[in-house]
Amino acid sequence: MKKARQAAGMALASTMLLLSACGSGNSTNSGSGNAVSQDPNDPFGKYSDTITITIGKEVDAADKSLPSGDTPENNTYTRYIKEKLNIETKIVWQAGVGKDYIQKVNLSIAGNDLPDALVVNDTQLRQMVKSNQLADLTEAYNQYASPTLKSIIDSTDGLAMKAVTFDGKMYALPNVTAESDMQHIMWIRKDWLDKLKLEVPRTVEDLEKVAKAFVEQDPDGNGKADTIGITGPQSGGLLNADFIRPNNNNYGFDPVFGAYHSYPGFWLEGKDGKPTYGSIEPETKEALGKLRDLYAKGLIDQEMSIRKDAQELIKNGTSGIYFGLWWAGGYGPLADAIKNNPEANWQAYTLLDKSGEFTAHMGTPSNQYLVVRKDYKYPEAAIKMENLLLRDESSFDVSVGIGNYPLRIVFAPMDEMYVTYNMMKEVLAGTKTAEDMDLPGYKLLKSDAENIKKVKLEPYDKVDIQYWDPDADIGAWKRMYSTLVGIAPLMEPYKKTYSLTYSQTKTMESKWATLDKLEKETFLKIIMGAAPLESFDTFVEDWKRQGGDEILAEVAELAE
Amino acid sequence: MVNKGFAKHYYLMLLPGFIWLILFSIVPMFGIVMAFQDYNPGLGILHSEWIGLDNFKYMFSLNDSGTILFNTLFIAVLKILGNLLIPLVFALLLNELRVIFLKRWIQTIVYLPHFISWVILSGILLDVFGYTGPVNQILSVFEIKPILFFGRADLFPALVVGSDIWKEFGFNTIIYLAALTGINPALYEAAAIDGASRMQRIRHITLPGIQSAIVLLSVLSLGNVLNAGFEQIFNLYNPLVYSSGDIIDTWVYRTGLVDLQFSLATAMGLLKSVVSFIMITVSYYLASKFANYRIF
Repeated sequence: MKKARQAAGMALASTMLLLSACGSGNSTNSGSGNAVSQDPNDPFGKYSDTITITIGKEVDAADKSLPSGDTPENNTYTRYIKEKLNIETKIVWQAGVGKDYIQKVNLSIAGNDLPDALVVNDTQLRQMVKSNQLADLTEAYNQYASPTLKSIIDSTDGLAMKAVTFDGKMYALPNVTAESDMQHIMWIRKDWLDKLKLEVPRTVEDLEKVAKAFVEQDPDGNGKADTIGITGPQSGGLLNADFIRPNNNNYGFDPVFGAYHSYPGFWLEGKDGKPTYGSIEPETKEALGKLRDLYAKGLIDQEMSIRKDAQELIKNGTSGIYFGLWWAGGYGPLADAIKNNPEANWQAYTLLDKSGEFTAHMGTPSNQYLVVRKDYKYPEAAIKMENLLLRDESSFDVSVGIGNYPLRIVFAPMDEMYVTYNMMKEVLAGTKTAEDMDLPGYKLLKSDAENIKKVKLEPYDKVDIQYWDPDADIGAWKRMYSTLVGIAPLMEPYKKTYSLTYSQTKTMESKWATLDKLEKETFLKIIMGAAPLESFDTFVEDWKRQGGDEILAEVAELAE
Repeated sequence: MVNKGFAKHYYLMLLPGFIWLILFSIVPMFGIVMAFQDYNPGLGILHSEWIGLDNFKYMFSLNDSGTILFNTLFIAVLKILGNLLIPLVFALLLNELRVIFLKRWIQTIVYLPHFISWVILSGILLDVFGYTGPVNQILSVFEIKPILFFGRADLFPALVVGSDIWKEFGFNTIIYLAALTGINPALYEAAAIDGASRMQRIRHITLPGIQSAIVLLSVLSLGNVLNAGFEQIFNLYNPLVYSSGDIIDTWVYRTGLVDLQFSLATAMGLLKSVVSFIMITVSYYLASKFANYRIF
């Protein structure tokens, strides 16, 4: 079945390739110079002649929201773009979300066979700039980016711009994610806690006790010892977020590291004031020792990093604890988890250090980059598509996954989710209504305010699963549950630790892959008991010798 | 050559194969120059900077290189040996089976796994050897603690080789069985009349009869001495078993397509190709010498 679908997809993709070849041929013939908007500087200006933009598309196989007959290439969003901007999107290839997409982009770069526009990551952006494959977007951005878009990019204090500027030229449109995509929190089965008469664990010591109870005391009550305490990363997943991928690391152990003030993968200011690398600090050894201990006691999934899909454990009610983002709740495995067991009451908390403080590592607001192929005639078309998305997203029918909007990258004010959380509280309390939600840039606020009472049952101040009605509107439930449950822990004050840099230095381009492999392999082996804790010390020496010292010097230069 | 029209007809049938060979094996060979360049996709193969042997120097300075070379050789050699001997023994056993019906059934069943792709089979293997999988459940009957099979670097090569042999031995058995049918039954009858036992008949008639097939298969497999099986290992491995399971092909894949170090990956790939080329030449020489097998 899957095979057949893949084959069909391939056939489709190759047909599209042919079609798009024809399409672009036509537009160059007929549209030479005519295809401009009436007002050349209008961010929302419609092209007088249809123009075509070819793209590579990330598709989510689990997304079943497209009505029959619609495709990733022809759906409500692409038709909307056609209608408003007269831009036709052609998909030249599509690949599955995550690893598959990254590889497909890598192949396109290596073969120098790029579609007109793509969404890429930091490493890919650097490679493409180095290879001189990208269009300079400086002018297009200045002329065509809408004021809202510019204001969101400016809200990062230049961080977003810095990531895409090379030799004074802007080579990509950076996304801006809400700050809440950076902190990793703990999701836990509250109904299991209640059943076993346990308190919510807030420290690593308590976490161990709870995980032990989850494993040994049969919290799901099926009479079998088949429950798992803590979910770990799946095959290919990360133990911890790092400076290259600092945001959105679900099922890793970031909160546990954080509780020990250990920030592996991050460039930090050392105790002596000089830059250091989090993974080689003694705190990391301590945290690894603890994780090793938890794993040896059977409290962490014994098949972590081998298992193909970590979510499965949460969906089928085997696991009681996992770490991840605010959105890893409703937007994550929980919609399926409650379908299987409507009483699975997953709640979110922060994990605290010894002194009772939440000490999170923070990421960078930009991690996706919209790039345009060099020599593409309408570099501003991609920017206009983002303008349109930003302006009109709230009016879209969200029952069709927004991932189907071509070239979508996230633009959110840094405090978007905090504002959403507070506003929803007010709407529930009756002090504000949907009409009060007209804040530019906070695109979903209004529709959120309209939807929340559909899925939230009274009493409004309680967020346990029995006070929700997911069936009323599962799309709204996903967002609102993630917000009210997942954002709540972040509303308390906490200590933020940033990396000194989130982009790669010169030496990293050739040596980082080796160092990174060394680190990931060593850490995984230590935790899973395949290597002694002392191998950490050897790792530190090897890391420094094999290029780490060189890179540290570069980071120091960068930080000054 | 006797009949020209006849030959043309065959050449036409060869054509698709030739086109395939040229497009996918000959044309990409020009990419080898990337190994001596600092390859830049924007500039292409023709204009990238020439850096000589720098990629090779860096490659040999990496700790990884020795490990992956050893792993590749180790796994590939074990696979070659296993895939020669086990089918041979199995074919001999099957050949002694007198119930034809049973023989056909077994033959068909054992070669079925050959048609399952590694993507699917690896999923099955990971489950079967999983922490709560059937193997560990059987072990628990004997009060052996569950073993995390695919997390153990010391067990990984055995699992890889074992599962590969299990998947392929049925198919290789057929080749031997085909050779066995070529032996004149009169020889067996004569030996039986002379009072030779079953073991003696195997030793003095069967084995010499398929000797050339054995020699041929073993020398031809020499060309695979650096092919440890990308598809299989890629679908089964994880960082815990890199130390014993990472092979040249998986390393090239990660370096080139994941980390975008095109030239370094090409250099390693070229090294593999050169060694394989030498092995194939040697094996061809041996094949022509011992088994009278010639192409040219």
